[in-house]
Amino acid sequence: MKRWHIRDIILVTIIAIFMGVIFWAIGPVYTILAAALAPFGLQPLANELLLGIWVMAGPLAGFVIRIPGAATLGELLGAVVEMFLGGIWGASTLISGVLQGFGSELGFIFTGYKRYGWFTLAMSTLTTTIVTFAWDLIRNGYTAYHLPFLLLLFVVRLLSVFVFGGVLTKLINNLLVRAHVLKD
Amino acid sequence: MATVTVQSLTYTYPKQDQPVLNHLSGTFPAGKFSLLTGVSGGGKSTLLKLIAGLLPNAGDTITFDGHPLSSVAPTQRAATVAMLFQEPSTQFTMDTVQNELRFALENQQVPAEQIAQRSDAALSFVGISDLKFRKLMQLSGGEQQKVALAIIVAMNSDVILLDEPFASIDPPTRLALLEKLVALCTDRGKTIVLADHDLSGYQQWVDHLAVLADGQLNLLSATETQQRFAAFTPQRLRLSHVQLPTEQLTTCLHGTQLGLAHGDRQLLTPQDLRFYAHRTTLITGPNGSGKSTLFKALVRLGHYQGHIAYRDTDIKKLRKRHYARQVGLMFQSATAQFLNVTVAEELALSQKYGNSTYFTSTRVQALLRDLNLDGRDDQVLYSLSSGQQKKLQLLCMLMMTPEVLLLDEPLKGLDYASIQTVMTILTTVQRELDLTLILISHQLSGLDGLVDLHLQLADQHLTYQGVSA
Amino acid sequence: MNPSLKLALIVLIALEVSFVQVWTVNVVLIVVSLLLMLINRVPWRRLLLLTIVPLFFASALVWSLMIRGDASTHFLIVIFTRMFVYVYMGGWFTLTTKPLRLTRSLEQNAKLPSKFAYGFLAAFNLMPKIQAEVSTVRAAALMRGEVLHVWSPRLYFKVILAAMNWSDQLAAAMVSHGFVEGAPRTHSLTVPLVARDWWLFGGSLVLVQVGLFVGLP
Ligand SMILES: Nc1ncnc2c1ncn2[C@@H]1O[C@H](COP(=O)(O)OP(=O)(O)OP(=O)(O)O)[C@@H](O)[C@H]1O
Ligand SMILES: Nc1ncnc2c1ncn2[C@@H]1O[C@H](COP(=O)(O)OP(=O)(O)OP(=O)(O)O)[C@@H](O)[C@H]1O
Ligand SMILES: [Mg+2]
Ligand SMILES: [Mg+2]
Repeated sequence: MKRWHIRDIILVTIIAIFMGVIFWAIGPVYTILAAALAPFGLQPLANELLLGIWVMAGPLAGFVIRIPGAATLGELLGAVVEMFLGGIWGASTLISGVLQGFGSELGFIFTGYKRYGWFTLAMSTLTTTIVTFAWDLIRNGYTAYHLPFLLLLFVVRLLSVFVFGGVLTKLINNLLVRAHVLKD
Repeated sequence: MATVTVQSLTYTYPKQDQPVLNHLSGTFPAGKFSLLTGVSGGGKSTLLKLIAGLLPNAGDTITFDGHPLSSVAPTQRAATVAMLFQEPSTQFTMDTVQNELRFALENQQVPAEQIAQRSDAALSFVGISDLKFRKLMQLSGGEQQKVALAIIVAMNSDVILLDEPFASIDPPTRLALLEKLVALCTDRGKTIVLADHDLSGYQQWVDHLAVLADGQLNLLSATETQQRFAAFTPQRLRLSHVQLPTEQLTTCLHGTQLGLAHGDRQLLTPQDLRFYAHRTTLITGPNGSGKSTLFKALVRLGHYQGHIAYRDTDIKKLRKRHYARQVGLMFQSATAQFLNVTVAEELALSQKYGNSTYFTSTRVQALLRDLNLDGRDDQVLYSLSSGQQKKLQLLCMLMMTPEVLLLDEPLKGLDYASIQTVMTILTTVQRELDLTLILISHQLSGLDGLVDLHLQLADQHLTYQGVSA
Repeated sequence: MNPSLKLALIVLIALEVSFVQVWTVNVVLIVVSLLLMLINRVPWRRLLLLTIVPLFFASALVWSLMIRGDASTHFLIVIFTRMFVYVYMGGWFTLTTKPLRLTRSLEQNAKLPSKFAYGFLAAFNLMPKIQAEVSTVRAAALMRGEVLHVWSPRLYFKVILAAMNWSDQLAAAMVSHGFVEGAPRTHSLTVPLVARDWWLFGGSLVLVQVGLFVGLP
């Protein structure tokens, strides 16, 4: 199995920072969305809609740096960046980071770090959504929601993670493969 | 002291069929200053990286006083050979100058109590003790190169390799750095190998020029060397027909109370500034004075004080998408410009959205041949040599033919022949399409025929130079 | 306090607070973090920002839980205060810890391999460049006639290429500055890890446990 070298470590960190920066750049969108939805008690939906972008660092790092732990590390470092930038989740960002990263890592674990295609991404989408949702049940008190609303939140999150962490990641991967920087 | 000997070195990049270096042999004598030159893409960077041990290389074709680098203990390799990179900003790990020095010395397992003293000595040798606590990211390119040199001095490396270290350095700083390097040779017996295209200023220090061509290294005789140097005499660098702007000229970009700053540091005191349409304007000024920052402000990529108007409309009121097609910027670093993977794709993008009636595919092919870039359609952009990247970048931006084209150091790292070609292309295209060109350059040779107006940035102020018409 | 222990402390407490519902402990933690920030002279502006933003999100979340769920008032207070615990503890940590010192501490005290420590650091120090790169890529695309959105694969592709390029350059630069993976290094500055750090760490954790035990219904 491949081991971590200094170049990979730098690369995973830069990717994480990039994703943090992109997420930061859409910050206003998030705030406006949240503010628009808040009066109807729908503020968490804003979270769910954009969560996919935030958890993208995991699958992306996993695809680009094909070393066990890359997805987890990518997402964790993204969280560190967010915390140092002063994100609203403060100290709990680190825990979320590990969990989100581990969520997508599970997808790669299931395929034994051998296949880097649709199946792996679909697995990763599913595991990410489940793991992060479980964490929000606890952290954000989602357990108190009525079941239909809870289901809505889950489905929206699944879709968001699928679109960004799945479809978009795959498209990026295709470009990188064509550029000969990644193997198929 | 160490002599570097290269014996029958052949190197081919992975997945390529042509070797870049082909049975290359040569010697870089101990305690001497060797100057390496050659066409863009000739393999200078490749050779230096191989000597520095940064590219995997089979066998012991490269030796230091007879020993291959692989026989040196890993932690002592940096004391044997060190390299100064062309791109000043991506060669540091830490935040401040002091911390970077510490990092380098810790790597060499220098005892903690000696680190401070060795760092200070190195800084004062290069003459930059005042930079000790500065943040590396906030230094100008020239200052960063000085710091990189101080680190090599502190690490006390025997062989110092420099890959176009002056490519984005202003002439006075270049001279100052060169003197330091020579002192390292003469006072401390270091072996220096320096790759450069611009041969001015070396006359007194270098006896023999090493030319890398067709994968082989050629040592020129003393006379041939002097002939090469003669091509870079100062007389050639004068701008003879720049004039002060006249009433007749039309303003295309107009800054009112335009000021520039980074953090607390003011780079340009608010002033009135005009750029004129259908002319070529040259901007010069020392490293870190804010020239690139000005260009970024003009294309709305950075903050500025005051107002900027394009054809009498405030640029903040124009639609970004629209404005970007009117005023284009050729970035100082070539890779920032590229959006695709291969040379062909990058050209195709410019062809698709650019002025395709002038830049027909036949014309583009001819230009590629002139620039020595033909036959590289499928090469990945990032594997081009720095000069090749620069030339391609220029071509791609010219093909877009924006009304105003800003060129940030378009000649950086180009060999003499390429500069001539680029100048001819720029002059022709500018005349035929009546473009407005504004360019920043530290390197002035060959620019005379192109430039109409000259703006100098000094003491936080931009002023037009030249005689009145 | 030693940075590595400080980090461990806030992560452990954040984890615990997420699972246990005792709002009094949350309030105490908020007050303590606030005091620690004040003692360390955190700028007022930062403090204000650290308060207003979570205030909005915490209120919105609580409001949403009220009308879309059936939470008790106690539960709502817990959720509300929890958000501030996270933010204030995070704020205390980031505003009083320099990344370089944290890295040195992780290398020396927590025995993190130096390749990780300095690999992270090299990339973090490139932050301003990375931040500028995203707008540069978009501007470069506009000048060539293309619009890149957050959902354009090309934006990420370009960004990853830049990342690969920089990581190659930085790795080469580190090697050229004498860095060797796995080789021993000296330390010009040592980050102390003394008994007092352990006492602070242990003591704080015990206090939180006691608080939680007493506060549990
Ligand atoms: N990683 C790579 N893969 C394939 N080809 C490469 C790679 N790196 C460089 N080349 C090619 O090898 C040749 C030599 O490149 P090198 O960078 O050594 O040239 P150079 O003499 O330093 O040029 P310049 O003066 O423009 O810097 C060039 O034609 C370049 O396109
Ligand atoms: N993002 C930034 N943050 C802080 N300072 C910066 C930033 N970018 C540039 N600077 C500083 O602003 C000054 C001007 O930089 P700029 O790149 O405009 O100089 P320049 O005139 O183009 O120099 P050169 O000839 O070396 O290209 C420099 O001292 C630089 O270190
Ligand atoms: Mg080169
Ligand atoms: Mg510049």
